[in-house]
Amino acid sequence: MSIPTQPTDPAATIPAVGRINWRAARAMLISEGRLLARNPGVVLWTVVLPVAAAIILGSIPAVRRPSAGLGGLSFFQLYQPILVFFAITLLAMQALPDVLTRYREMGVLKRLRTTPVSPTLLLFAQLTLILSVAIVCMALMVVIPPLGGAPWPRNPGGFVITYLLGAWAMLGLGMVIASLFHNAKVAAGFGSFLFFVMQFFAGLWWQRPNMPVWLRDISDYTPSGAAVQGLTDSSIGHWPRALHLIVLAVWGAATSRLAIRFFSWE
Amino acid sequence: MPVIEVTDLRKVYGPRTVVDGVSFSVERGEIFGILGPNGAGKTTTVECIGGLRQRDGGAITVVGMDPAQEGAAFRKVLGIQLQESRLPDKMTVVEALDLYASFYPEPHDPAELLERLGMVEQRKTYFAKLSGGQKQRLSVALALIGNPRVAILDELTTGLDPAARRDVWDLLADLRDTGVTLLLVSHLMEEAERLCDRVIVIDRGRVIAADTPEGLAASVQADQRMSFLPSTPFDLAVLGTLPDVHSVVTAGERIVVIGTDDVASAVIIALHERGISVGRLRVDQPSLDDAFVALTSSDEGSSVAEESVVR
Repeated sequence: MSIPTQPTDPAATIPAVGRINWRAARAMLISEGRLLARNPGVVLWTVVLPVAAAIILGSIPAVRRPSAGLGGLSFFQLYQPILVFFAITLLAMQALPDVLTRYREMGVLKRLRTTPVSPTLLLFAQLTLILSVAIVCMALMVVIPPLGGAPWPRNPGGFVITYLLGAWAMLGLGMVIASLFHNAKVAAGFGSFLFFVMQFFAGLWWQRPNMPVWLRDISDYTPSGAAVQGLTDSSIGHWPRALHLIVLAVWGAATSRLAIRFFSWE
Repeated sequence: MPVIEVTDLRKVYGPRTVVDGVSFSVERGEIFGILGPNGAGKTTTVECIGGLRQRDGGAITVVGMDPAQEGAAFRKVLGIQLQESRLPDKMTVVEALDLYASFYPEPHDPAELLERLGMVEQRKTYFAKLSGGQKQRLSVALALIGNPRVAILDELTTGLDPAARRDVWDLLADLRDTGVTLLLVSHLMEEAERLCDRVIVIDRGRVIAADTPEGLAASVQADQRMSFLPSTPFDLAVLGTLPDVHSVVTAGERIVVIGTDDVASAVIIALHERGISVGRLRVDQPSLDDAFVALTSSDEGSSVAEESVVR
């Protein structure tokens, strides 16, 4: 092996600092995707349950009839948005902090700091992958049930906008967990706790139409409550309320800022 | 102009001064060793040089750049192998090399490096399945993949068995002629002896010796060391005035005297004249390890009270 002669003037070969190295970004994304495919356990477990539940629910005719006890909605209309949001919440609260805290523990992030690319590239690769998996889940939960006779979301635009804002808020929250907790096990524990809190406000156990007014008011200001209501409104043909979209955007912006402020490489 | 120049480097963690005025310079193509016991400040020193820690005082230049600026330009000329840094379990050797190669404008050919490392057979092996020596060789390869002008290797043979250790040493010895400047952190004298052109010894944040490994060894190896229990306590200065004696140290109740080949007889005669007899006498030729221990022994705590008298 011959090591090529080094350039004598370092400045001559070095591009401007801060430019994104797309070749590295692509390589990182491919590499992380490959690792995800080799360790599919967490992600599969995360997505199989809600996707299967949505498909099964959609295939039962009785579930598709409006019910007076559910505020005039059908069981499917009520639960499809909850399940759609269940998947992104689980991915963001569990899978994302898990992989990032483990990379920090292993010194992978610190190791990347010693190269010309920033470890930020790795964070973006992970966010891209997790969001992609979540979007595929969402698509399966929206597209497959209508094949069995369940309704489509009547306002797809509102549905997608709400979903993306909700995903932003959830991934931001996941990043905050990864920033605050440096131990992978502690992060996983806190992520589980937060996941159940989110599901409570989303109405998994106590449906939003049946919540007392004061509790529903609180739920309106949580990312999961706002997102599920926005998705429900969209699926029955309305536009999501501005309040819910603003709540999601504020959560997204605030958690992103916090995560950027407190995330450390080691 | 030196490739690395460190002047009066200081680093403080809370009330503790971890690096306390370290200065040295490394020339192009040198293999330079930073030695010292655990906790001496070696890693902190190289992490400051590598731009991973902000220094609290002093100046550092690496290929004319200040690591504190920490730009991409700096990262391209410097490769670092970190202590205790792992890769994801299911990343293969060749995938790791390809990934890291993509970070640099003019990387080595990963296939060539693999061959050089003797890891062609393991190219598709998962990181988790590699032996300790193979992991370290891969780690060295990742530090070199970007064609750096300077590479910092921190404790790269720690935890390896002797055969794996020699493997890694052979790889580094081969790099000697390529013009890469290597900064090697170690607490193994044998490693330094084998590889380094020059070394410094750091203890408690200060440079306590700077020489070639041969020079360092010779300064102690030319000496003989004797230790004994005196029949009665006496003033150590008595020994310090003898022409054959270089230094006198107490280690518990034992007295350790280092000096010329004739030191043993000179000390015994001098003490005999004062009516003191020499019990449990031991005379030996200190090894390089002993030199290191002698240099850094004050770190061992209160059991060794150093009272060195240099002629």
